[in-house]
Amino acid sequence: MSMSERKTIDLEQGWDFMLKGITKLKNILEGLPEPQFSSEDYMMLYTTIYNMCTQKPPHDYSQQLYDKYKESFEEYIVSTVLPSLREKHDEFMLRELVKRWANHKIMVRWLSRFFHYLDRYFIARRSLPPLNEVGLTCFRDLIYKELNGKVRDAVISLIDQEREGEQIDRALLKNVLDIFVEIGMGQMDHYENDFEAAMLKDTSSYYSRKASNWILEDSCPDYMLKAEECLKREKDRVAHYLHSSSEPKLLEKVQHELLSVYANQLLEKEHSGCHALLRDDKVEDLSRMFRLFSKIPRGLDPVSNIFKQHVTTEGMALVKQAEDAASNKKAEKKDIVGLQEQVFVRKVIELHDKYLAYVNDCFQNHTLFHKALKEAFEVFCNKGVAGSSSAELLASFCDNILKKGGSEKLSDEAIEETLEKVVKLLAYISDKDLFAEFYRKKLARRLLFDKSANDDHERSILTKLKQQCGGQFTSKMEGMVTDLTLAKENQTSFEEYLSNNPNADPGIDLTVTVLTTGFWPSYKSFDLNLPAEMIRCVEVFKEFYQTKTKHRKLTWIYSLGTCNISGKFDPKTVELIVTTYQASALLLFNLSDRLSYSEIMTQLNLSDDDVIRLLHSLSCAKYKILNKEPNTKTISSTDYFEFNYKFTDKMRRIKIPLPPVDEKKKVIEDVDKDRRYAIDASIVRIMKSRKVLGYQQLVVECVEQLGRMFKPDVKAIKKRIEDLISRDYLERDKDNANMFKYLA
Amino acid sequence: MHKLGRGHRDKLQQFITITGASEKLALQALKASDWHLEGAFDFFYSQPQLKTFTDSRHLEELYNRYKDAYVDMILADGITLLCNDIQVDPQDIVMLVLSWHMKAGTMCEFSKKEFIEGLQSLGIDSLEKFREKIPYMRSELKDEQKFREIYNFAFGWAKEKGQKSLALDTAIGMWQLLFAEKQWPLVDHWCQFLQARHNKAISRDTWSQLLEFAKTVGSNLSDYDAEGAWPYLIDEFVEYLNENGIIQNDLINDSSLKR
Repeated sequence: MSMSERKTIDLEQGWDFMLKGITKLKNILEGLPEPQFSSEDYMMLYTTIYNMCTQKPPHDYSQQLYDKYKESFEEYIVSTVLPSLREKHDEFMLRELVKRWANHKIMVRWLSRFFHYLDRYFIARRSLPPLNEVGLTCFRDLIYKELNGKVRDAVISLIDQEREGEQIDRALLKNVLDIFVEIGMGQMDHYENDFEAAMLKDTSSYYSRKASNWILEDSCPDYMLKAEECLKREKDRVAHYLHSSSEPKLLEKVQHELLSVYANQLLEKEHSGCHALLRDDKVEDLSRMFRLFSKIPRGLDPVSNIFKQHVTTEGMALVKQAEDAASNKKAEKKDIVGLQEQVFVRKVIELHDKYLAYVNDCFQNHTLFHKALKEAFEVFCNKGVAGSSSAELLASFCDNILKKGGSEKLSDEAIEETLEKVVKLLAYISDKDLFAEFYRKKLARRLLFDKSANDDHERSILTKLKQQCGGQFTSKMEGMVTDLTLAKENQTSFEEYLSNNPNADPGIDLTVTVLTTGFWPSYKSFDLNLPAEMIRCVEVFKEFYQTKTKHRKLTWIYSLGTCNISGKFDPKTVELIVTTYQASALLLFNLSDRLSYSEIMTQLNLSDDDVIRLLHSLSCAKYKILNKEPNTKTISSTDYFEFNYKFTDKMRRIKIPLPPVDEKKKVIEDVDKDRRYAIDASIVRIMKSRKVLGYQQLVVECVEQLGRMFKPDVKAIKKRIEDLISRDYLERDKDNANMFKYLA
Repeated sequence: MHKLGRGHRDKLQQFITITGASEKLALQALKASDWHLEGAFDFFYSQPQLKTFTDSRHLEELYNRYKDAYVDMILADGITLLCNDIQVDPQDIVMLVLSWHMKAGTMCEFSKKEFIEGLQSLGIDSLEKFREKIPYMRSELKDEQKFREIYNFAFGWAKEKGQKSLALDTAIGMWQLLFAEKQWPLVDHWCQFLQARHNKAISRDTWSQLLEFAKTVGSNLSDYDAEGAWPYLIDEFVEYLNENGIIQNDLINDSSLKR
């Protein structure tokens, strides 16, 4: 059997056959009545291309067929597609375009199949664009390039209609925009350059027009609601039909036009701006403000500034209130921190709670707002009230909470919480060393006179202070608390000692508290002439103490002592609770019926100030244990005193108060002195390490080193430098007076 | 012998009058500075003084003439006699310059060592030479560097033994004496300020820095640096001047000072 040889197909003949197939496809795309391709049709078309490409030259028509493939698209586009698009406008044009693009893709798919053999061999061998790409490129070059501007404008027009609340065909826009993306064939340049850029520009102008109206007619909260709604809707738009890559750019445009451009006008609206919202506690609006402004560059700066100003103003108002309340007090009580000042601290705590909640909630813990809060509180928390520094006020406030019989009755939890908040406020106070000194003074009083309500709270606040200010800050205070614990143990040992040594007999009940000098505030220790009964006590305790420690020295501070005395008055016996000084004075009258001022002063060996204060408390105050001649309200050096046998009181036990010495001045003087030492030490430390340093640098480093405790005044530093020069620690450089040298 | 022009002769005479130098030295200095008086002064003072031979026996005689009867030192009475002999008022500033040459440790006292070595350094061994040297010592106050040395020397010289600071009254007297030579227009205000606001002793640092202040800061204080390392007291002084509106009044004086 012999094979019949395949007949050669020439170009015209073969292409005529292909044209029939292509025409059939076009008819299908145009919706004309045309049966679908059968598999036989398909095979015949494919085979024809195959045959024409595999015939021996000069009958290999690969190149010609490749060219005719492209021409097929071009002819169809020019003759049919473009006219149908050109005759339509706006939304109708968009619909036609979407349909044409879909059809075009179908045509590309079918023809690519028919001409598939070219892709596999001819195109691969020649490195030509693939059939698929050729087809898409035809659409891009002939249709897209001509119409993309009109398409873009139509799309943008529909977007603006939707922005105005009209219903639009979102699916249509989605499909149209997909064309821009697909035309890019993996690149976004066509989408970005031919559509997105213009869309963003239109968005800017749209919202610029809107904003310029809204800013005039809307309140700040209403404006922000609109802005937030607009942003939400633009985000929706991206989700529905824009490409996702447009979202950040689109939102940035909206944010710029609605927020950045009008930030100041919006925030400063007189009756509804940021300040008004803060004043009226509009937390929801403030939260929205934060969310919106946090999205624009440096948008939170003005908000946090207004917040800071607002908090500062509120704080200064509290200071003013407290000043006014204090000035209404009686003149003679001006130096004592009173109830008004306690109220002031309480209100500052409440203010801090309120605005800290704002920072944490409305402003989402943002660092700018923490900083604003801190700076605001630093302003008014360093103002004094009625002559008392804030450091003193805080210390007094703590004292009031921690001592027995304080003016507030708080639960344990409330005490802990309040102390926590006080310690937080301390962070804002420059003069932490002043607080420490006042606190120590009052702690000493609570501990020594058994006024402390709760040991656990005392230790608890020290723990909080330690966390906040460091171990060095609280070491003395902790030492004080420890001393009290040791004192109790010591007293137990003393009582054992007394029971084991019959010869050691104080004669009266005796309790001694041993204090470590460095921990406690400095106390004046006078050479008070003790009555014989007390001298005995001192001697017995000294003997006891010697058995425990041979090398320590006891210094007695009688001003801190307390005595219980039985006063035998004619009506009845009354137990008197008095200070050691008062007791010493009263015991003089066991031996003498009548004593002059100077006799009392001589026998007690006290100063005028002390004697006057002492005798006043016993003869001119509420309880007149002594009668004074003449019977006046003030003590003078020519007065005489007698025991008042007729004294009585309905109570069987009374405490005779001794008016407190003004400690404020001494505390402040002590702190000033300590600061001088601290500045000196800092300067010497710096210069020792640097050897040579300029003045400005020295001041800067000194302020930095000491800033945790107090803010040194530059003048104070300058004075210390001069003193150190005088004491030969430093000298000025011979050639440059601004340079200092360390002298070893 | 060269014939000098009238201008040159006048300058020569002026130089000799101010410095007390010999005609030969004066001529040398003026020629070296091309006949500019200021330059001539610089030249003259920058030359090391030739160590003139002094007769130590004569120096011993001078010392014994003035020394105290009981203490081997020259004290106030001896100094008074010395001033009489050289025809100088004891309050004259030239006595400060002399004390500086002698490295005197304290006012109104010269130890034997101070006296003899000081006079040797000045080339003096007789009263005649002493009197001849007075104009030279006076002229040293014109030299800026020497004035500064003398000014700073004055602090230690004038203060009480064992003290670190200079008593205020003494300091004020010294400032008035010294600034009579330097023409600092604010000196009276400075002294008033100290008496009104300070009323305490003066530290060495403040003393020496005041001279720098007088030299470097114009009397209208426009170039005063409040952030600088000036002593605290000078900062206070500037505040005092501003508070009292003194600066405005001195603007006139300042312009008149510009010759």
